[in-house]
This record gives sequence, structure tokens and C-alpha cells, in this order.
Amino acid sequence: MPSDSPRPTGLMSARRRLVHRLLYGRNVDRSAKARARVVLAIAGFAALYAIVALRLVMFAVVPESHAVRRTSQDAVATARPDIVDRNGQVLATDVRMPSLFGEPRKIIDVDEATELLSAVLPDLESAEVRERLGSRRGFVWLKREIKPQQQQQIHRLGIPGIGFLPENKRVYPNGAEVSHLIGLVNIDNQGIAGMEKWLDGRGLADLHRAGFATDRQQEPIELAVDLRVQHALRDELVAAAEKFKAKAAAGLVVDVNTGEIISMVSVPDYDPNNPREANDPTRINRLTTGVFELGSTFKALTIAMALDSGKVTLSSSFDARMPLRYGRFNIHDYHAQHRVLTVPEIFTYSSNIGTARMALALGVEHHKWFLRKLGQLDRLRTELPESAEPLVPKRWGELNTVTIAFGHGLSVAPLQAVMGINALVNGGYLIPPTFLRRSQEEARALATQVIKPETSDKMRYLLRLNAEKGSATKADVKGYYVGGKTGTAEKVVNGRYSKTKLLTTFTAILPADKPRYQVLIILDEPQGLKETFGFATSGWNAGPTAGKVIARIAPMLGIEPRFDMPPADRLILARGQ
Amino acid sequence: MLRLINLAVIGALVLSAGWLYEIKYSSTHAAERVAKLRAEIRREHDAIAALRAEWARLDNPDRIQILARRYLTLKAIEATQFDSLDRLPEKPVELVPPGTADPIGALIENMVDPEVVTGGIAQPEANP
Repeated sequence: MPSDSPRPTGLMSARRRLVHRLLYGRNVDRSAKARARVVLAIAGFAALYAIVALRLVMFAVVPESHAVRRTSQDAVATARPDIVDRNGQVLATDVRMPSLFGEPRKIIDVDEATELLSAVLPDLESAEVRERLGSRRGFVWLKREIKPQQQQQIHRLGIPGIGFLPENKRVYPNGAEVSHLIGLVNIDNQGIAGMEKWLDGRGLADLHRAGFATDRQQEPIELAVDLRVQHALRDELVAAAEKFKAKAAAGLVVDVNTGEIISMVSVPDYDPNNPREANDPTRINRLTTGVFELGSTFKALTIAMALDSGKVTLSSSFDARMPLRYGRFNIHDYHAQHRVLTVPEIFTYSSNIGTARMALALGVEHHKWFLRKLGQLDRLRTELPESAEPLVPKRWGELNTVTIAFGHGLSVAPLQAVMGINALVNGGYLIPPTFLRRSQEEARALATQVIKPETSDKMRYLLRLNAEKGSATKADVKGYYVGGKTGTAEKVVNGRYSKTKLLTTFTAILPADKPRYQVLIILDEPQGLKETFGFATSGWNAGPTAGKVIARIAPMLGIEPRFDMPPADRLILARGQ
Repeated sequence: MLRLINLAVIGALVLSAGWLYEIKYSSTHAAERVAKLRAEIRREHDAIAALRAEWARLDNPDRIQILARRYLTLKAIEATQFDSLDRLPEKPVELVPPGTADPIGALIENMVDPEVVTGGIAQPEANP
């Protein structure tokens, strides 16, 4: 540097001196200054080289960020975990499909590209493609989800500015079979109904938003549903709806001891591969989204309440000689006996008068308290996003108790009633139903004891008795020791109960001496047929349907048939004493 | 002396540069292979997923039922057709190996002790 070299001061011009003074000041040791400057230079270069070395180390340690970016780019729609049934059968899975896109700015000849593309993809609207490719945008979708062969062909055409992105497409190989249960997804693979929506709620949506849910590294979700049972139930329900000209039919199979939903069908249903069908309001899921007055099925709850209170025993009797007058209402019996009935008789003859008197004997508050304890008055929430609030009377007087005792005046979701009846027969444990796998221990941990085990034994006896000599005889499949209760509710049309529009239900437990499964069948507005002698009540349609379902599913569920079983009073009642 | 050291250092530098180049090259090569294998694994995964979906579609009980109704004479199983294994009767003793052309003849042959020659009628030796 020139400033370092010694210079005779006399030679400096005035200007130079000025600069010199500004740079070095007046009394500075120039040699010390020079040393300091060298140290500074060394430090500067050392820092520079340190940065370079550090960068090198970073490059060596951190894997190539290049490759990572590429993989996250190639899946646009979220990857979702597979959904399998309890036996590992695939219910929903992702399949990679290439999607065709164009980059209009890179395309040289729009007409040629359009022509070539429509030769490979005949269903492509060529005017639309031309317009899209002619636009000045950077990126346009041309066709989502094309076949691999088509991708190959287009690739061979070698059109510049045309490319493919692999996308995840959700497929439901079983079509309509599990529709209501599993729900469906939109074009971007986000769940919009059923268990698919539940999956999104569990954090998959956040994962997607962060851009991580792109590859299939997620564990499959195992549901409680059994595809074979689901198929058998649906097949029988479709046949029953057709035979009895019912508007709709629905069925449930639930594990009594764990609350697992083994099968849930509500027809008419939809094919989740065709999302347009799913929006049709007639195809709603009647078991969770609809609320109904379930009729005589509710008598089981009333009688359990009476027996559990200790004030009523199986040998108690109630006067059913006359219709029960309440205000301006007359409560009649459908199978009127015009005599004093014992509790088992009230159940098997499905006496409205008897159950109403039973509920009145215990009082309104007790009735309300009991139903609330059994979860019949609050909204039941499961994994499914769809749920309906029960319609509970705002002012609950004695008249309400009278009608609710035999299942009118309180509308609940059928799944809710199933949960209540499960508690009546499984030893008194109220277990919230679930669509996921659950072990017996987990269920016990969740359960609350709502009735005494002895009451539960009596309810098993009554249900079995009803299949032996009551209204449920047509559902008694030989060998499976079925117990059941019919229910026929008149539907409300324009504020009045209709005599012709019925909702028939059948609740079955099997085997009745130690229940493992509950089967619920619902038919909406079934018609009387010649072979049912014009009757449209539950024992003639929902009951036999339940019988057919049980005969088909019991072997699948591993229930061993037993013959020559003693009648209910000897097998179930004797055990309790 | 200094020159020798310098030469040695330069030689070491050249060697280490060559060695580094070699490592770098092979690591790039390995990385490429990893990327290629990853892509292949993903492709295989996708193919498996597609095949599983197809399998599930073919395995769908509704489809099987339709096919079975059309082509088979099978009927739904009934409760009376089940029984437990311990109630199965003992397997009868096989007297004749299965597939014998003349079972009754074989039975008689089995009963006859080959050692014993029964007497009785003498073989006619020369019958006119």
C-alpha cells in the first residue's frame, strides 16, 4: 500500500497532507497501525475461509434438499391412510393417478397440441383445451386422473409444455356397501362425510395443510365393521324394502359387550365413488341423522325401569281391562286382552295400558331421570360427524310419561335406543357405541353401570319369552336362542298420528341367555301384503327380516348353534336365583 | 530441504484432492442410486395399492354373490348343518383300499388266508 511506504513530508502537497491527516490523525505510531492492519486483514480472511468451510460442512451433512422438494411436489391431493374392516378387508384406499396439466407460456403451437391431445383423449373437449392452453396463465389443469396407458401415449407425443402430476385418488372398492359408515372425500381428497371426515378431524387436515401428508406412510385405520356382515345385512334390507314396498330400511348390528358397531346400513344409500348421489336428501343415514318415535321397543326401557326400581317385580300385575283414559285421550291396546296382566304378559302382548300404568306408578321425575341416565334425552355423539338431537317434549307432564312409556312422544336416533337396550341386556353397562375396534376391557373402562345385573337378567328373560310365545316368534331362528321385541310406531303426518304410515322396528339379541350381539331392523312405511294378511306391523315385516339377517350373520359372527335348549324361564330365570 | 517438504506437501495435496474427488464421485453415484431406488419403491407401492384396490373390488361380497347365484348351485348354510368336531363319529376301518375295481372280490380275498389251501374238490386234471 502506498500509505505504508515512508514518504518525505516535504514532497507532499497541501492536499495530500490534508488527506493524510484525516486518515491517520496527528500523533499515531505508524508501525503499530500497520501491524494492526495486518492482523485485521488476517482476521478478515480467516472469517471468510471459516464461512466457506462451514458451508462445506453443511452441504456434506444436510442431505440434498433438492430431492425432498421434488417428492413433495408430485402429490397434490392429500394421501390418506387406508381404511380396513375388522378382518383387514380394504374399504377405502388411495390409488396414484396421473393428472394432465399444461403450461401455456411454454407451448409453441396451441392448435397442434390440442389436436394431438384429443387424439389420445377422445373425451377431451377440444374447444375448452384450446382456450385453456391459449390463456396466458402459468399453469392449467387439462384433465384430472387419466389412465397410465394414456399417460404413456401423451408422453410419447412429446408436446412441449404438457406434463403430468401424480395425484392420490380415493377409491372405494366396495361401492355402496359401506357408504354411510365410511363417508366420502372431495376431489382434493379431503373428507366431507362419515369416517373420512372424522379422519380429517384427527389432525390429517393440519398435516395436509403443512404439506406433509403426501406419501403413504400412514398406518391403516381399522374399523369395527365386518364387511361380510355388512353385506348380508344390506342384502336382506334391500330385499325387505322391495318386498314390503318400504320407503327406506335401516339396520344395525352391535356388539353388546363392547359397543362396537359391526354393521350399519341405511338404504337407500349411495356409491361414495359417485359423490353426486350423496347429496340426495332421501339417502340420509336414518340411524344417526334421523330421529324417530320407536314405538313398543321403548317398552323394554319402561319395564326395565320398573323392575330396577324394586317397586315392581316379574309377578306384579297391572289392570289392562279398560282403555286408559287420560284427559281427552284414550290409550288402547293393539292386542287387547281385557284382563289384569302380569309384567311378562304386558311385555309379550305389548300392552300400552300396562306399560303406561307402570310408568305412572313410578312418576314423571323418575321416568325422566331413568331415560336421561340411559342417554335417551341427550345428543349421542360418535366418531361420525353426523348426529341428531332427540326431540324431547319441552313440558314433560304425566301425559308425556304415559305416551313415552310405550314409545310415542319422544323421538330418538335409533343408534341411541340401541345403546340403551344394550345396557339392559349386557349386565347393566351403558357403553357409548363406536365405529372403531374396542376390546372388552376398554369398553368396561368407559361403561357406567345404569341398572342392576339382576334386572338385566330379567330383561333377557322377557326378550327371550317374547320370541318363544310373544310378538317376536317369527324372528326366532332355531339354534341361536334369539330374543326380541317388536315395535310399530305410527308416523306423524300433518301433526296427527297416521294409521297407515308406520315405522316398524325389531330389536333382537342373540343368544338371549348371554347376549353377544344386538340386531336392529327398521322399515319405514312398509305395506301389508297378501302373505302377511294385510298386516303391516313389525311382527310381520321387520321381525322376519331380522330372522333372515340373523340366520345369515350368526355363523359369520362365530355363534355356535345350540338345539334342544330349555325355555327361557328355566334357563335364564333359574340362573338368577 | 524446504523444497523437499514443499514437494511432499504438494504431492499430498494432489493425492488428497484425488481421493476427495473419488469419494465425492462415489457418494454422488450412491445418492443417485438411492433416489432411483426410492422412486422405484414408490412406484411399486403405488402398483401394490392399485392391485389391492382391484382385488378388493373383485372380492366384494356383492359381486361374489351375483356370480355365485349365476354359476353355482350352492345354498345358504343353515344352523342344523353345523356340528362340533368332538361329536363326529369315528372313521370306519377301511377294509378295502379305495379305488379298487372289484371291492367285493377284494374283500373276499382279504378274508382268505393265502397260506391255507382249502381242500375239497380236487382239480380235474384231464377232462375230456
